[in-house]
Amino acid sequence: MPVIYFLIYLLTMIGIYSLLAMSLNFQVGFTGLINFGQVAFFCIGAYASSLLVTKAGAPLILGFVGGMALSGLFGYIISIPTKSLKADYWAIATLAGGEVVRLLALNEGWLTEGPFGVMSIPQPLRWLFSKDSYPLFYLFLIAACVLIIYFVLSLLTNSPFGRNLKAIRDEEDLCLSLGKNTRKLKLQAMVVAGMVAGLAGALFAHYITYISPENFKPIETFLMWAMIIVGGRGNHLGAILGAVVIQLFNVSTRFIGGYVPLGSDTMAALRMVIIGLLIVLFLLYAPEGLIRERKKVYHLKRKHIE
Amino acid sequence: MLTLTIRDLQKNFGSLRALDRVSLEVQGNSIVGLIGPNGSGKTTLFNVVSGFYEKDGGEIYFKGERIDGLRPDQIVKKGLSRTFQVCKAPEKLTVLENMMLAAKSQIGEDPFSALFRRPRVSMLEKANLDRAMDLLEVLQLVDLRNEYAGDLSGGQKKLLSLGRAFMLDPDLILLDEPTAGVNLTLATQLLKVIRELQKKEGKTFFIIEHSMKVISDICDKVLVLNFGKIMAEGTPEEIRKDEQVLKAYLSGA
Ligand SMILES: Nc1ncnc2c1ncn2[C@@H]1O[C@H](COP(=O)(O)OP(=O)(O)O)[C@@H](O)[C@H]1O
Ligand SMILES: [Mg+2]
Repeated sequence: MPVIYFLIYLLTMIGIYSLLAMSLNFQVGFTGLINFGQVAFFCIGAYASSLLVTKAGAPLILGFVGGMALSGLFGYIISIPTKSLKADYWAIATLAGGEVVRLLALNEGWLTEGPFGVMSIPQPLRWLFSKDSYPLFYLFLIAACVLIIYFVLSLLTNSPFGRNLKAIRDEEDLCLSLGKNTRKLKLQAMVVAGMVAGLAGALFAHYITYISPENFKPIETFLMWAMIIVGGRGNHLGAILGAVVIQLFNVSTRFIGGYVPLGSDTMAALRMVIIGLLIVLFLLYAPEGLIRERKKVYHLKRKHIE
Repeated sequence: MLTLTIRDLQKNFGSLRALDRVSLEVQGNSIVGLIGPNGSGKTTLFNVVSGFYEKDGGEIYFKGERIDGLRPDQIVKKGLSRTFQVCKAPEKLTVLENMMLAAKSQIGEDPFSALFRRPRVSMLEKANLDRAMDLLEVLQLVDLRNEYAGDLSGGQKKLLSLGRAFMLDPDLILLDEPTAGVNLTLATQLLKVIRELQKKEGKTFFIIEHSMKVISDICDKVLVLNFGKIMAEGTPEEIRKDEQVLKAYLSGA
């Protein structure tokens, strides 16, 4: 039986990280915005939802919506000073932004309980299920979220909006010369990405029921990057596949840990080294990742084709 | 009346005076050529007018409104667009996607509409698709419609920038060496298309060409830029005979 629970846990984490990877891919793969502080969205979504529910007594659904909204708002806010920055400065600014959020969670104890974290976070519809069946329900909830977000993001990236984002990624000056308000578009992309990652944060918090700043270290951003590098960018399926691969590796080596004569710290470090190596190998030998960006082909009427 | 008026425009790069008190006028519904030796400041003029570079002095009016100081995208929305001498070709957007990208005021560019007003969005997309295919036909790019723009040859990229400009359909189009690298037959044909657009739809063109030959047939007026200054202005006939211009070209080349 424990194997099943381990499997459910693994799949649940894959689902949460799929959302995070899709969000990062939306920024990096589609819009060309390098974000080294992606974990900030995750953190804000988790804390906002938990605190709204535990401290403000809001209903769970409002916690989720609030988590998404605040994380989207954060996407908006970091876009304001950074929107005129060139790509490399943008990257540094987001890295700093990510740490600022975690340090706020750590130090603003009156609100966040500081290093102790938020405990006893309630779970949605918990009373409907037994202790044994609840994890399975939650897995379905997350699977549904992944499906919906996949669908919504696909609609967006296939729309004129998504076409603009890809054009910004490839040739920003061209977009300007065609009258596109690239600042506004980048801002909108960050808000969308923030909301998706915020949802992942809320789902995570209400799943593990206890969060602390420890959960939101820069290493998480590193994992999300590994996912989109391995899975492929500019392609939502690639992000999901990347989340599967990296989580499988990350979690299964934790499992193996018990059978290898290495301390857990050493194991953790070794895991990151191996993921780092994987990133390098992919960048060198398969820079497009496992699934490459799909070419957009328009359906034409017959009169055009003959 | 649609007019582009430039007064005393200045642009410096360090101690280099790339534009030295340039004043000129482009009348609506005409084709104006801008020629001059390499490095004389032609592209810089376009960059400043289209809002990509900040000016160091002077004024720019379009349709009677000040446009200097506006962002490039704001200037485009007023009806003035430009192409680039070194073509911008989004690597992972197909030729057809490029054309679709250029269409103006698409409601699907707003994420909310893209999700919740899909029938209207796809109706507009269909209309744009028809127009894009018609234009690609003229430019002989139909067979390349599903190629990535980044994979095109230099000449094909030039054609695509023209295509985008026609798709965007502004009132005044600044073209930076539109036929460089395009084979002669097609280049001649393109100039004819430009002429037709000007006659039929009342479009205005301001065209940079490195060589006099290419545009003298279609221009109503030609301006000559040398060392950042307008050194001559007149009909193609007059310019061709101008001693000073000939000398500048000989020394510049
Ligand atoms: N971004 C820039 N920075 C510095 N110098 C520039 C820049 N752009 C153009 N120049 C200089 O300005 C002068 C005019 O260049 P340009 O406008 O490209 O000439 P043209 O298009 O007539 O060949 C040249 O001497 C060029 O080196
Ligand atoms: Mg030039």
